Amino acid sequence: MSNREDDLERELRDHLDLEAEERGDADAARRAFGNLGRIKEDVREAWGWARIQRIAQDLKYAFRQMGRNKGFTAAAVLTLALGLGATTAMFSIVNGVLLEPLKYHDPGRLFLARTVPPARAKMARDFPVNAAQFDRWRQYCRGCDRMAAAKFDEFTLIGAGDPAIIPGMRVSAEFFRTLGIQPAIGRDFLSEDHEWGNVILSDALWRSRFASDLSIIGRKVGFNGDGFIVIGVMPPDLHLPKGDEWGGFFGPAEAPMVFFPIDSGNYKVRPTGNLNYSAVIRMKPGVSREQGIAELNSLLADIYREYRLETSITLIPLQQQVTRNARSALWLLLGTVGVVLLIVCVNVGNLMLVRTSGRYREAGVRLALGASRGRLFALVLEEALLLVAMGGVIGLSLAAAGLKAFAAAAPTLPRIDEVQIDWRVLCFSGAAVVLSTMICGLFPAWKLARTEPIESLKAGSAASTEGRGKLRLREAMVSIEVALSTVLLIVGGLLMISFLHVLRVEKGFDVANIVTQDISFLNPKYAHGAHRRVAAELLAKLRELPGVDVAAATNHLPLLGEDWVGELTDPDQPPRSPDQSALANFRFVSPGYWKAMGIPLKQGRFLDDSDQGKPNAVISERAAQFMWPKENPLGKHLEGMGNAAPKLEVVGVVGEVRGAGLDHPLTMMVYEHQWRMEPLAMSLIVRTRADPSQVAAEIRALLAHADPEMPIPQARTMQQIVEESVAPRRFQMYLAVAFAFAALFLASIGIYGVISFTVARRTPEMGIRIALGASSGELMRMILRQGMIPVFAGLIGGLLGAILLSRIVASELYGIAPRDPATMAGVAVVLLAVAVSACWFPARRATKIDPPLALRFE
Amino acid sequence: MSKDRLDLVQGTLDMLILRTLLFGPAHGHSIARHIQATTEDVLQVEHGSLYPALHRLERKGWIAGKWETAKDRNREFKYYRLTAAGRKRLALEESKWKRLATAIARVMWPAGEA
Repeated sequence: MSNREDDLERELRDHLDLEAEERGDADAARRAFGNLGRIKEDVREAWGWARIQRIAQDLKYAFRQMGRNKGFTAAAVLTLALGLGATTAMFSIVNGVLLEPLKYHDPGRLFLARTVPPARAKMARDFPVNAAQFDRWRQYCRGCDRMAAAKFDEFTLIGAGDPAIIPGMRVSAEFFRTLGIQPAIGRDFLSEDHEWGNVILSDALWRSRFASDLSIIGRKVGFNGDGFIVIGVMPPDLHLPKGDEWGGFFGPAEAPMVFFPIDSGNYKVRPTGNLNYSAVIRMKPGVSREQGIAELNSLLADIYREYRLETSITLIPLQQQVTRNARSALWLLLGTVGVVLLIVCVNVGNLMLVRTSGRYREAGVRLALGASRGRLFALVLEEALLLVAMGGVIGLSLAAAGLKAFAAAAPTLPRIDEVQIDWRVLCFSGAAVVLSTMICGLFPAWKLARTEPIESLKAGSAASTEGRGKLRLREAMVSIEVALSTVLLIVGGLLMISFLHVLRVEKGFDVANIVTQDISFLNPKYAHGAHRRVAAELLAKLRELPGVDVAAATNHLPLLGEDWVGELTDPDQPPRSPDQSALANFRFVSPGYWKAMGIPLKQGRFLDDSDQGKPNAVISERAAQFMWPKENPLGKHLEGMGNAAPKLEVVGVVGEVRGAGLDHPLTMMVYEHQWRMEPLAMSLIVRTRADPSQVAAEIRALLAHADPEMPIPQARTMQQIVEESVAPRRFQMYLAVAFAFAALFLASIGIYGVISFTVARRTPEMGIRIALGASSGELMRMILRQGMIPVFAGLIGGLLGAILLSRIVASELYGIAPRDPATMAGVAVVLLAVAVSACWFPARRATKIDPPLALRFE
Repeated sequence: MSKDRLDLVQGTLDMLILRTLLFGPAHGHSIARHIQATTEDVLQVEHGSLYPALHRLERKGWIAGKWETAKDRNREFKYYRLTAAGRKRLALEESKWKRLATAIARVMWPAGEA
């Protein structure tokens, strides 16, 4: 390399010598030749590889620059790391949850069949499918490759550690083959397995309860008091959808740990109603969703005709179904962190602009010595790249750590266990670094590269070369920051208010002082109603506990979603048309239930012990109003739930409760006496004045004593159930508000920077003004006015942006309009207050200027 | 602005250098002098672009540089000579240039006017 340099040096000297000889004047030759440094630089450029060498040189220089400016470097790298880290983490989640295909064989061909109510019923929701209809498809569907029916169920595991309630699924034999997954050990279900009492375990259950024992295959395991033979264990990365990810009415969102086969060829149910199964269908290659829907419906044509059904079947791509409830929230959060990153970049760009303003002389000297403008431009961009890349690397490790925290904080998010940092995340991260570098570096680079060498060298101080145009640019950046922060503050504010609305929703039941305990009688020794006696004894004993006021039981607690859903029908009235029909949630409760939950009586009476065995029911006010708008509901009749249900007589009307969830609409309720349905799993409810944890311990002791084989899950207070039901919303709100405040903080730094800079630049002018008698109040007003103009511009832009984007957030809100004027006004006030205080300190510095000193400033 | 001029010259400068070297090896100064002399000073070769161009052509393998003692004085200069690839390149550039020149001429001075 140095050889080449020497060569060049010699070659150019020879030329100069010859030229000087010719002209007889060395100086004239030198002048005619031009800028020697520049020519050398261009020649080096022609060598080609000089570019790499130059970048290395620039980077060395950039590193030195960073070392000299430790404060700036630390602030920039840290904010960039946080911004890039948060964006990368959020993208990993969007990638893993929404973009990454489901981890099954050819997942694009998997669909979930759902029953859609007729449009005029205006229910805006879909339902599972009828088993007899499913069987029709299984036999005759030609466009379908394979299909399986599945439903959630719970099982008690006895004889392997403490007795426990294990979430599981009942699946038809084709279930795993439809998804395209195979057991890791043992074999898959065959069609006759349901006759033999064979089961398949999940990897988690096999590890936790059977110590990963390979000899488990063929062994008998006790479920629900019976022996079942284990024929297989699924692999550890079995990412099955949970709960509502299978569509509504599936069961709690728990990963199934055991799989029981169901008879896949023999469903003796009426082909209407009885919407009890999730049906997953793999279409044949090349069969479109529309073709599939048409065929499934045409196969049911005679059923539709015979029973005058107005429902239809639709197919939802499995991937879309699984992520249905998380989609908009995730995109919203990704958008939010993206905006925060944008603000970070604008801020860093602004800081770099401040620093470049001190470097015009340097730039002038470099240009004079032969640096090209392109090279100056590249120099600044490389500095930006260095900052951003360091931020990106730190950010990536932050993202990896943040993902773990996120997964722990949002366990209900679908597929969260599948999220990881893969090549797509790395590409995204790389693209974010490049884009951030552009945003940070382009303006400063452009400014520096445009330096006029003569001007910059002539001008006395660095500051005075800072023209008005430069300030405009920085004010525009402040406006952008303010606008983006405004949008984020509004989104955060709307989510916060929504959350408060949800918390304040009239629940219809008491929350304080209630302890609940799930119990299960899934054991053959409780067959033939034996559990009635045990339950009655338990309730009696619970009532005797010190501090306990009321003890009761129900088959399903409020806020845990809908279950036992059936149509409201009056057998004494003609059948209702679809747009006149409604669904109610049926509950089977012990007589003390309403007192224990604090649900008020509105009419008639509560059920009591005398109602046992009688078809008497208590309904909620809205159910009464809906069925018999202007009549007395007492003494009216309703169809009960189930195939052999008796005609129910209404004996009482009670208040409304939020059955499905706080942010769900009210559900109509029908309460029957506990023992009409013989539920084997139920929740005990204890209303107590004593310490809940102590009561929970006493309940536990009582249950363990009553039946050592009974599984006893953790007791929960009603307060906990409320908290859990709003946890996802709370989490989303915290994130959005945190991002909004981060944005506000960054924007205030931006404002502060610009005003400080203005004040410093105008120090002599201020001195003159003060000397001429301007009061500090006048000065203050002048600076504030100048500082607040870009803030106002940004605020208006942000408000307009929020209005434009309101449709995106609407689906995440509750009880508040996305264009809520009060929220916008509140955000404007907060933002202006922060902006004024960010202007205040530098402005005050201006009023403290000492005139004589200021005039010597230059 | 200086950039425009440089761009304009660049393509033709390469061709002129190659053409000059067709007469035999020459060093940078003599190449510039030769171009200037043969065009009767119409074309002033910018030294700022001459040397980058020489090095660029050398890198592409169209010319080869070698330190040799000058015939008329006792001093070494870097002499450039045309390579085989350079000859081919010159022919290509020449035909391209001719076509361009004829095309421009047709537009500027249509038959009859000339």
